[in-house]
Amino acid sequence: MEILAKLAFAIYALIILGGALTAVSSKSLVRSLVGLIVTFFGVAGMYLLLNTPFLAFMQMLIYVGAVCVLVFFAVMLTRADGRGEEAAPVGGKRRFRALLAGLLPVAGLGAILVKHQGETKTLPVEVDLTALGSGLLDQYALNFELISLVLLVAMSGAVLLAWERKEKK
Amino acid sequence: MSALTLYQLVALVLLAVGLYGIVSRRTLVGMLIAVELMLNGAGLSIVAAAQLTDANATLGQLGTLLVMGLAAAEATLVLAIIVVVSRRFGTTEAAAVSTLKE
Repeated sequence: MEILAKLAFAIYALIILGGALTAVSSKSLVRSLVGLIVTFFGVAGMYLLLNTPFLAFMQMLIYVGAVCVLVFFAVMLTRADGRGEEAAPVGGKRRFRALLAGLLPVAGLGAILVKHQGETKTLPVEVDLTALGSGLLDQYALNFELISLVLLVAMSGAVLLAWERKEKK
Repeated sequence: MSALTLYQLVALVLLAVGLYGIVSRRTLVGMLIAVELMLNGAGLSIVAAAQLTDANATLGQLGTLLVMGLAAAEATLVLAIIVVVSRRFGTTEAAAVSTLKE
């Protein structure tokens, strides 16, 4: 059974890598968004492998269901086709700087990670869903309320920003 | 290589690709997509650390839920900002948005 888990991990990692590379390198933003969705599904598979099915479900519900629709609205409100603003090829200098920005911090973190490997369990912990619920309402109730407050402020801020003032125009 | 390290390496790959995207993309929408990639890497890293070590697993899962909520709030605000910028400047290229008042 362990070989199956490793195989699933490799497949999910490949899905994540392919989706992420499509998301950052595609010329059309619609394709880029599809790559992002593929990455979300790959990460949801990783959550399943980590024995957290609730988080995998939430990943699909929140990211694929809500965030992707928001990004799709943003794509539709701008010119996103193959001749749009992202269509011009990325210059060599810009690509080099972007590679530097991506690889330098990650190389440092990766070196630390590989050098200091902590003790790990072979099997992930199983957390009951009731433990999560009682944690949200009991021990971490303040965080729960704060995130709802943040969402409320973000929502009303978005409405306020995008409001078309009619008397001015 | 332990399982925890492998999961953390996948999260690091997501971080690297996201950083590359946020620097190389021209438009705000492309940058938003890169930020979502990085947030996903953060969530995966937190869950892997919580599930595979002696740390509090409930806290880790709730922390990832918190990251997801923050990502949703951030995407909402960025969408509104993109609407305002494209209405005002006629484009969403980050380089074009460099003046406070025209």
